Amino acid sequence: MSSLSSAFSFRWLRSLGVASCLLGEVGGALLRRSVPLREVTTHAATLCGRCFIPVNITIFPFGAVMGLQGMQILDLFSAHRLVSTLLAQFVIQELGPVLAAVLVAAQGGSSFAAELGTMRIKDEISATEVMAVDPIAWHVAPRLLAMALVVPLLVVIANFFGILGSYTVAVGLYDQAHGVFMAHLYENVGSLDVLLSALKGLCFGVLIGLIAVWKGFTASGGAEGVGRAVNDTVVQAVMFILVFNYLLSSLFFGGGT
Amino acid sequence: MSAGLMSVSVRKIGAYALFCCDCAVSTLQHGVRWNRVMEEGHKLGVKAFPVLAVMAVFVGTNLAIQGFTAFRQLGAGSLLGMFVALAGVREVCPILAATMIAAKGGTEMTAQLAVMNTKEQIDALEVMAVDPRAELVAPSVFAIMLVLPALTIIAVAFSIGAAYLVAVHQLHVGSGDFLYHCLGNFRIYDLWVGLLKACVFGIVIASVSGYFGFHSERGPAGVGRSTNQAVVAMCVVCVSLNFLLSAIAYG
Repeated sequence: MSSLSSAFSFRWLRSLGVASCLLGEVGGALLRRSVPLREVTTHAATLCGRCFIPVNITIFPFGAVMGLQGMQILDLFSAHRLVSTLLAQFVIQELGPVLAAVLVAAQGGSSFAAELGTMRIKDEISATEVMAVDPIAWHVAPRLLAMALVVPLLVVIANFFGILGSYTVAVGLYDQAHGVFMAHLYENVGSLDVLLSALKGLCFGVLIGLIAVWKGFTASGGAEGVGRAVNDTVVQAVMFILVFNYLLSSLFFGGGT
Repeated sequence: MSAGLMSVSVRKIGAYALFCCDCAVSTLQHGVRWNRVMEEGHKLGVKAFPVLAVMAVFVGTNLAIQGFTAFRQLGAGSLLGMFVALAGVREVCPILAATMIAAKGGTEMTAQLAVMNTKEQIDALEVMAVDPRAELVAPSVFAIMLVLPALTIIAVAFSIGAAYLVAVHQLHVGSGDFLYHCLGNFRIYDLWVGLLKACVFGIVIASVSGYFGFHSERGPAGVGRSTNQAVVAMCVVCVSLNFLLSAIAYG
């Protein structure tokens, strides 16, 4: 039993080491300026196209539900006018970054892992190496950078759609005045909040990208191995997003002061 | 362009509805094999449990932090317990468990069925006069439908526990305050609604994965594509249904 647990922790440590080596190599490739910009933009464009509609179509009903429940809770304080402030904070600080990141992990992260894994098991990555082309700079770094670029963008757009969802419920269903909603929104939510939200998105993007490229790059064992890498990518990315979300939220907004 | 997209999506919804009807009819004709259901449910639940527990813990911590920042503005930081109980039981935990099962069990089921479709094993079953829907889809539907409410209760327990720890030790809300407002607002009606939601999400997840598995294009690329589409479709349908059910139960 103890050997099992020690083997488990050892594997964890090793994976952590491999992942940070990969991150370091990507950083080195960036410093050497050997990352092709065109690859980055291509991957970013594909990622945007794949994730834009799912993210926004999911966060809209979520914002609407928050509007519904928020109205009920604020009923206790007869503070209906505050609904836009509280909901916008909730959407911008938590829901937008987390939901966008989870959906990007499910859509984009899995496809990146699948692409790299397939290249790995078909020995295409070794082939690039043989041709004296750095696979890190050509295949890994562009995907990681694309992820880090796209997630913050999607987060900001998702924030807009989430607030739109709660607006629909508050103004459309509960007859709150448009002006009241907007006034409280503008009064209490500033560009700093959106910036922090995008910053969260950036952290999540790097996280998803790193997990996806690491799982794909180290895949082995044929088609089944690629499948396992994809599945692991999604599950671990979502888990680490939630863990980091707690840390970042404590850092930015919480802390008991 | 948009008219074409419309007609395609309407056709897909129609095909999905037909698929569900087919499944229901073949289940009624052939009965349910409960030992398969138990086997599938056991596999799903045991696999999902550790990941779900970790997720629920960190969702609970964030509920506490967000609830605290929100209620502090109203000068009611101690009402945090109420927020955690209401938000967790009513909305967050059913969705969390459903997302988890969709990402793990749903994708696996879609991929498996799509591979069988690619290898023409589904056709082979039909040739052998075994109804593939009753054999492959129905047990998973029942299994996910039974497992999801159980996982929801586990998620509720873990998230409220984590929220309690964060509230008391990080945010310095009084432990008595938290527990009083948490337990005082924990209504059994909310729990029932949450469990009902989980059941509905379970049916949606299993039937959507079945649909995408049965209707995938052949070949490895088709398997990948249908798995991807299935996850997105599940998320969208579950979140939309969540709004509908919340509006009916609390609106």
